[in-house]
Amino acid sequence: MLKVDRVWVRRGSRFALENISLSLPPGKTLAIVGESGAGKSTLIATILGLLKPRKGDVTWADHSVRACGPALVMQEPRAAFNPALSLRRSVMEPIVARNEVVPHERIRRLSDSLELSLDILDRCPGEISIGQAQRLAILRALMTAPPLVLLDEPLSALDAATQKRTARLISDLQREERFAAMVVTHDLGYAVAHADEIAVIKSGRIEEVFTPQTFAMEPKSAYCRSLRDAAIALGALEEPV
Amino acid sequence: MNLSVSGLSATRSGRTILHPTSLDIAQCEYIALVGASGSGKSTLGHVLIDNLRSRGLRVAHVPQCPEEALDPLRSMRFHWHETERALGFDPGSTDKKTLFTALKIQDGDLQKRPWAWSRGMQQRFVIAMALISAPDLIVLDEPTSALDPIIAAATMDLLGQYRKGHDTAMILITHDLGLAARHASTLIVMHNGRIVEKASTVEVLKHPQTDAAKSLVAHRIWAAMPC
Repeated sequence: MLKVDRVWVRRGSRFALENISLSLPPGKTLAIVGESGAGKSTLIATILGLLKPRKGDVTWADHSVRACGPALVMQEPRAAFNPALSLRRSVMEPIVARNEVVPHERIRRLSDSLELSLDILDRCPGEISIGQAQRLAILRALMTAPPLVLLDEPLSALDAATQKRTARLISDLQREERFAAMVVTHDLGYAVAHADEIAVIKSGRIEEVFTPQTFAMEPKSAYCRSLRDAAIALGALEEPV
Repeated sequence: MNLSVSGLSATRSGRTILHPTSLDIAQCEYIALVGASGSGKSTLGHVLIDNLRSRGLRVAHVPQCPEEALDPLRSMRFHWHETERALGFDPGSTDKKTLFTALKIQDGDLQKRPWAWSRGMQQRFVIAMALISAPDLIVLDEPTSALDPIIAAATMDLLGQYRKGHDTAMILITHDLGLAARHASTLIVMHNGRIVEKASTVEVLKHPQTDAAKSLVAHRIWAAMPC
């Protein structure tokens, strides 16, 4: 279980995260929703151990998160691959780096689940669509069967229909593989449709944590209400009847 | 004013990316051009703008990337005055304050060059420039892609009010049918460089005819709110 316990992170002259506490059990999805500059990506960097908190702890099963071998999927799928290497080499990289045997069966099963054909692996990143690139980035992240996967705005580079399809594939895979997923997004629609729990953060603080079910009842803070109204006005959520 | 164009087409490197297309736009009509990435939406927007401008009509264009509209070497103040001059206003005579306040960019420093502003603020600055005068048509290419949801919703709201207040026709180019359906009264669905469907929003949502439209309708919203 991922535990973020009263974490304070300083960036420059101010605190980018103030007293953040969160927990994420295996097999569940936690969505972190907030606007640009709220501290979402700082939180990811802190969980991965790339930033050291001034106060507080981040642990996975009472050990450091790095020890569990977490995976990261980033926002720009094309930028996540070396343009000069074949996709096969890029996808194998986590396995090669660990000196493990290439799990051909696993690649076949994951690409089946992600609706990718295997011959795509012989191409270069410039030769595939952005939607395929993001699904490959997810495939690569799952190669080593990580217990924790962090996804930083995994859908925002994709078009609306591709977003929904990719989100469904991620959820299906998660059910099979039982990894814990932490998804950073500004899309409340995605969070309501796919997350088990939603944490709204604003200016480095947690504004509110709720489940999609309790979200239908009035969110407590004015900020969460305006987020919900915005999602409805932008057509991401349907109004309750 | 009703606008009518025909025979719009475009090729790139010998490949046809927009097949011959005709389009009628009624006064004050709010059209959304929807389709998957690469279906030719932005291309149709561009050739439409060129065609109408060459006929002397006033068309405002908000491109998808604010960098397309802003010169990195010039201050934001320069861009604003240049737009005023081009539209025939005296420098400083337009109601900048109201527009900037409505778009929540009143705190932006106009002395700065575009790259000192955030992408979302640049985007809203470009929208403000498009709203200075009352054009015959405003073409908005993914206007909310760089904006946070709350600001995006406020911006869409402002654009809707502006359209009603000025009788301006509007074309919203987006891949997001949810957004389009929420705001536009007419939907044009594009697929592989062709218009494959044009009907009222209600009609397309209820009875999508083509596969492209059916796929968009099926993926329209994330979820109905659980109650």
